[in-house]
This record gives sequence, structure tokens and C-alpha cells, in this order.
Amino acid sequence: MKTPLIKIENLNHSFSDGTCGIRDICLCIDPEEFIILAGRNGSGKTTLIRHFNGLLHPSSGKITLNGNSIFKDINLARKKIGMIFQDADTQIVGDTVFDEVAFGLENLKIERQYITKKVMQVLKQLHLDHLKDRSPATLSGGEKRKLAIAGILVMEPDIILFDEPFSNLDYPGTLSILEILIDLHESGRTIIVAAHNMEAIIAHATRLIIMEDGRIKKDGPPKDLVKTLERFGIKEPCSSRLGFGIQPWQN
Amino acid sequence: MAELTLFTYRKGDSLLHLLDVRCKFILLCLTSICIFKAHFSSVFLFIFVLIFFFINCRINLLKNLSGLAFFLLLLVLMFISRSVALPGDPVFTLFDISVTKQGMTDGALMVSRFFTIMMAGILFSITTRPASLKNAIQWLLKPVPFVPEKRVAVMVSLALTFLPLILRQANQVSDAQKARLGNLNKNPVKKIVRLSIPLLKKTFVSADNLAFAMEARCYDEDRTDPEFHLSGKEGLFFIGGLVLSACLVLY
Repeated sequence: MKTPLIKIENLNHSFSDGTCGIRDICLCIDPEEFIILAGRNGSGKTTLIRHFNGLLHPSSGKITLNGNSIFKDINLARKKIGMIFQDADTQIVGDTVFDEVAFGLENLKIERQYITKKVMQVLKQLHLDHLKDRSPATLSGGEKRKLAIAGILVMEPDIILFDEPFSNLDYPGTLSILEILIDLHESGRTIIVAAHNMEAIIAHATRLIIMEDGRIKKDGPPKDLVKTLERFGIKEPCSSRLGFGIQPWQN
Repeated sequence: MAELTLFTYRKGDSLLHLLDVRCKFILLCLTSICIFKAHFSSVFLFIFVLIFFFINCRINLLKNLSGLAFFLLLLVLMFISRSVALPGDPVFTLFDISVTKQGMTDGALMVSRFFTIMMAGILFSITTRPASLKNAIQWLLKPVPFVPEKRVAVMVSLALTFLPLILRQANQVSDAQKARLGNLNKNPVKKIVRLSIPLLKKTFVSADNLAFAMEARCYDEDRTDPEFHLSGKEGLFFIGGLVLSACLVLY
């Protein structure tokens, strides 16, 4: 039997004040899936994805990456499972675009020459190379989000977790991030997007997981679940509401 | 987009931009210490040297002086306090307080010394990338026993990176309070308390998110060593800096 890329068994997490973040999560994620993790605010999406790369420790349960517990080699898990946070401002560490992208590789003690080459390659891929000497503080919201993606891509992850990737972005910014998400998925990476508004991405997803009160309530192909979204406090995409099914934002 | 301040690094190709950061940092520390022994003649010599470098960096200091309004006010207060506090020949007396000739001379000398240090600091910060400063601190602290130089360097770098973010958050909090007529309350203590509590809360949340983001990118103190770029003019600058420091102490 094929081993799933990520396997989660009976995962529970309680916060220090006793409130329960997630309960009894069982999930298998295969390579090249494009998953939307949907749910209203406070449903446990962020808490769940923060367990994927060991940022949060479960109260009970197990998470494996390629059959091995992620805590066996946490640095390997964090290299293979990249995570883009909701607020780009608070995850930017470097004082230039170049330094920000180089941060992850420097932590892995990679040779300086390789870092320079790899960072430039990723900056070119995301069309940020002309900004390499700029201070991240002076970038627009969309550019900051792209920079956060570049900082993860440089570490060559197999799985990328996005926490609300379109929040606070204007229409061109949303389209540009959407294009990157589609390209990353087409290049063979597994994409997991935690979102409460899935208008832009639902057409590209291969699987939809709906969460409520820290539990997984529904799991299946988006076309089968789209009509149930509003029952869980998630907006149904306009095209589906109007009876046109799930339509992509981009042709 | 964040605003550029007088202390923000500006990209350039001037002599100081190309100079190795360690050389600049050592000379800045040396001249800042020596200037407290300097008299008017050597302070003016230092100011001329600084004006040359400002022109070389194509920075119009006069245009940017508004950013130093509070510092200039502090200098005026220092001058007044020295003028009235130092005993000597009275120039004029107002409400039984005598302004003395010796006090004015001493005040002017003290103010000119502080002003010169500020100018040198501005020149240093606009020609030095914060990342280079971090690298220089790490290099200079390396031989010091019991000092975790890498941790100190990262802390300095993070402080420099997050200062604009904290200032922006402070502006947002202040604007939100003004929008609810918070400016009608003239009590400065209440104003500070109302500003600082939400600002501290926001800062702690940002720090928490930053810690997660750094962990997600495998943050480790044992990182790739920084690299330094020598311009070839460091020897000449170092000799020039030593001569200037000697002049400051002797004349």
C-alpha cells in the first residue's frame, strides 16, 4: 500500500487555558494534492496547519511525514513543509528582499555561494529580482506576500501551507498570488490552503476539507461539497450560487 | 508603503557605501569618543569632513533637518541649561537668572559636539545596511568571552527591522483613537496609557508570530557566516580616521 505524504492520527490540541483547539483529527494527504481547509474564524484551521511542521505540539495523536514522525527530524520536516503565514509583515526578518529570502538557507548552514545562486533564481521566478536591494518595509502588500512565498520556496519544500493567502490583498494582488499557487501545484508540489473565503481558489482545488469547532466535518471533492459550505458559515462562491457551478477566476 | 526616515539606509555607490562596515563602525565609535575632548577648531574640522561625505552621498541634510526637530529642540535646551548653570561673567540677567559668557561658550561647544555625533550617526545609518551592521557586531563580539555574538547580532537586526513596524502600529493606534475623538483628552499621562496598552498588545502578538515564522524556517543560532566586502580603501580610511581622532583629542 502507498504511504501517504502526511498522515495524521487522532490529533488533539488543547491550549494552556484549557480550550480545545482541534479534536480527533484523522487525515491522509497524498503527493500533488491541492487542498482547501475551510472553516469560519476560530474553527481550528490555523491550529491544525501549525501542527504539520511542528510549530505546535499536539496534546495527543501522531503526525508522520513519509512514514516518519515529524518530531524525529524537525528541521527536515520544516524544510519539506513550508508555511506562509497570514500576516506577511510579522514574518519578514531580513532588512532587504535578498536577505529575507536567504534567511532559511542561512539557518540550514548552506554554503554562501549556493545561497546567492538559489536566492537569485527564486527571486527571478517570482519576478522580484529588481527589488532585491529594497527594504521589505517599503513593498506593497502583494509584493510582501510574494516575498514570504520566496522565503519558503528557496528551501525547496514538497508541501506548502498557506494561511489565508488572499487576506488584505487587492484584486491584482490576489490574481498574482493565485497564479503562483497554480504554478506551484503544476510543478508537482502539494498545496494546502487554509481559508474562509475560497472564491478565487476553489476551481483549482482537488479536495475540500471543512472544519467546525476543531473537528473535520466534511472531506471530499469541491464540486460535491460546494453547496454545503454555507451550513458551516463559509460563503458559497458566486458562480455556484448563480447556478454556473465552480468557475475559475483565471482562464 | 513605509516612509523613509533620515536614518533609513539609502542605496548608493559613494565612498562610504562601499567601505567595509567594520571599518566604518570602529571609526564611528572612535571619533564619537574622541569628540568629547575636542575644542571648537577640531569640531569644525570634523563637521567639514562630514559635509564632504554628505555631498559625496548626495544627501541634502538641510532638506531633511525637519526630521531632527526634537533633537534640535533638545540641543537648544542643553545650550540654555549650560548657559545659566555655569558660573562666570554675566552677559545679561533675567528674573535673577544670569546667562554667563563661560556658560554660553561651554553650551555651544557641548551642543556642537552632540550635533556632530548625530550627523556622523546619520551618515553611518544611511550608508550602512542593517544586515551589514549585524554582521559587524557579530564579528566584533566574536573574541569577547561569554557573549553569544550570534544571538546579540540577530537581536540587533530584529530590533532594526521591527522598529518601523512598531512605529506604524503606534500611528494606527493613535489614528484609531483620534477617529473616536481621543485627542480631546489633554491629559498626557492618560494619552500615553491609552496608546501604550494596545501597542504593547500588538507588539507581543507580532513578536509571537515572528517567533513562529522564524521557527518555521528552521531558525538556528549556528547559521551560515556573514560575508564582508572590502573596497580596498579601508587602510586609507583607517589612517585618516586615526589622524582625525588625534586632532579631536589634541586641538
